[in-house]
Amino acid sequence: MQVSRRQFFKICAAGVSSSSLAVMGFSPGTALAQAREYKLSRATETRNTCPYCSVGCGILMYSLGDRSKNAKSEIIHIEGDPDHPVNRGTLCPKGAGLLDFVHSPNRLQYPEVREAGASEWKRISWDDALARIARHMKADRDKNFVARTDDGLTVNRWLTTGFLAASAASNESGYLTHKVVRNLGMLAVDNQARV
Amino acid sequence: MATTIIEPGEILPPGPETPFLRRAGRASVFGDRARRFMALAEGHAMADFLRFMGHLAEAQQRTLDAQGAPLLPGAEQIALCKAHGMPPLGTQTLRRDPSWREGLQRLLEQVESQANDATRAAMQRLAALPEAELEAFADRLLGGEYAGLDLAAAPLVGAALQVYWVRLAAAMEQADFPRPEVHTLCPACGSLPGASVVRIGAEQGLRYLHCALCASEWNMVRVKCSHCESTRGIAYLGVEGGDEAVKAEACDACKSYLKILYMEKNPAVDAVADDLASLALDILMDEAGFLRSGPNLLLFPGAAAA
Repeated sequence: MQVSRRQFFKICAAGVSSSSLAVMGFSPGTALAQAREYKLSRATETRNTCPYCSVGCGILMYSLGDRSKNAKSEIIHIEGDPDHPVNRGTLCPKGAGLLDFVHSPNRLQYPEVREAGASEWKRISWDDALARIARHMKADRDKNFVARTDDGLTVNRWLTTGFLAASAASNESGYLTHKVVRNLGMLAVDNQARV
Repeated sequence: MATTIIEPGEILPPGPETPFLRRAGRASVFGDRARRFMALAEGHAMADFLRFMGHLAEAQQRTLDAQGAPLLPGAEQIALCKAHGMPPLGTQTLRRDPSWREGLQRLLEQVESQANDATRAAMQRLAALPEAELEAFADRLLGGEYAGLDLAAAPLVGAALQVYWVRLAAAMEQADFPRPEVHTLCPACGSLPGASVVRIGAEQGLRYLHCALCASEWNMVRVKCSHCESTRGIAYLGVEGGDEAVKAEACDACKSYLKILYMEKNPAVDAVADDLASLALDILMDEAGFLRSGPNLLLFPGAAAA
C-alpha cells in the first residue's frame, strides 16, 4: 500500500482532457475554453476583536485585494465571528456598524494639538506628540506628586493626572498598562473596556 | 409602515453546543444532489456531463432507498475506535461486505439507458471484472492510487462506494463517533474532505468539511487551511464575475486549496455537484500554482496530471 501524508489531486487544463470526464465520452473542450476567458478574484477573511467594549466579541473582516501586490485592499464587510465562543456570530448594533466606523471620514488618523488659546487644531508628528505628552506628565507629576501625607505617612501618589486605557487589549498589554501607570504613582486609572 | 415588534423569546439563542458531526440524511442526500446537478446543467458548458452525473445521483438515491443497513463493525471495535479517537468506519480498516457490489450492480442497471457509448463500454468492463479484481479496484480508489486505474469506470465505482459508506454512517449511533483530534479527516470514515460548506440556519456561519466518501460533515473553524491547519495567508479566490457561492480557500503555507461553498449566497449548493460544475475554478487555481487537497469521487484527474 502506498501511504503518503500529502495527497493532492491536480486538476489542470492538460489533465482534464485525459480525466475520467473525457474518457467517459464527454467533451471538456468548451469548459476549458471558458476557463481561459476568466480571471481569479481574491478576497480575504481576517479575524479580529471588536474595539468597543469589554465583551470582546470576535469579528470577521472581509476584504478585497491582495496586500502583497500593488492592488489597493479594502474592507468590504464585517460580521460576527461564528466560531468565537463569546458572541458566536452575533454583534450588537454598535458592532454591526463597524464597517462605517472603519471607513468614517471623521476618523482621527494622526495626532493633532490645539495650543492653549488657539482655536485651530494643528497636525503634529507622533514623536512630537509623545514628547509633549511626556513633558506635560512630568511637569504635572513634579509639581503635584505626594510622597508623604501631612501626618508623615508614605503614600507616593500622583492624584492630578488620570489614565484611560484601551478596550480589546490583551492580558499582556493590560499588565504593562498597569505597571506603567502604577509605577508613576497614578491612582486614577480606568479602562475603555469597562464602558 | 407596519412595525414588527419582536417579542421576548422570538430570537432563539444558539444551542448549547453545535454538532461536531452532521451525518448525511439517508432520505435525501443523493436526491438533493441529483436535483442540484440538473439545475446546474441548465445552460452549462458541460451540460451533458452534469446531467449524466445527475442521473447517477438519482440512481444512488434509489439504490440507497432499496438497500438496508450493511454489516457494521463489532461493538468492541467501535468502542476501541472511540477510545482512541479513530474513525470507526475507516476505509483502510473496514471489511466491506458484498452488498456494496450489489449496490454497484443496481447503479449500473439504472444509468445504462442514460449512458453514452464510452461510458457503456466502461460499465461492461466493470460488469466483467471478477470479484477479487473489483475489490482491488475499490481498494486502490479509496487509497488514492489512481495511476493505471480504469478512469472511465472509476466514477461509477466511486458512486457505489459513496452509497455503501452513507449506509454505514447512517446505521451507526451518533454517540459512536469520537470527537476528532485531527480536523482534516472525516471522523466517520477517515477520508479526505471534498469541499467545505459554510452553513445557514442552526449552524449559521459555521464551516463544515464535507466527506468525499460518506457525505458526513464535520465542523472546522473558518479561515484555517483544511489541509495543513495553518491560519496564515488564507485567501478566498473565485471566478471574477462568476458564482459568488463557490470560492477556493487557498493556503499560502502548503500551496493547496479546497473549494468552499456559501449557503448564504445559495442555500441549494451541494458539495459534490457544485464542485464539478465549477471545474473552471480548478483550472484557474492550478494555473495560479495551487494544488487541490481533496478528491471528488465522480471526477478523476487524468494521468498527464499525476
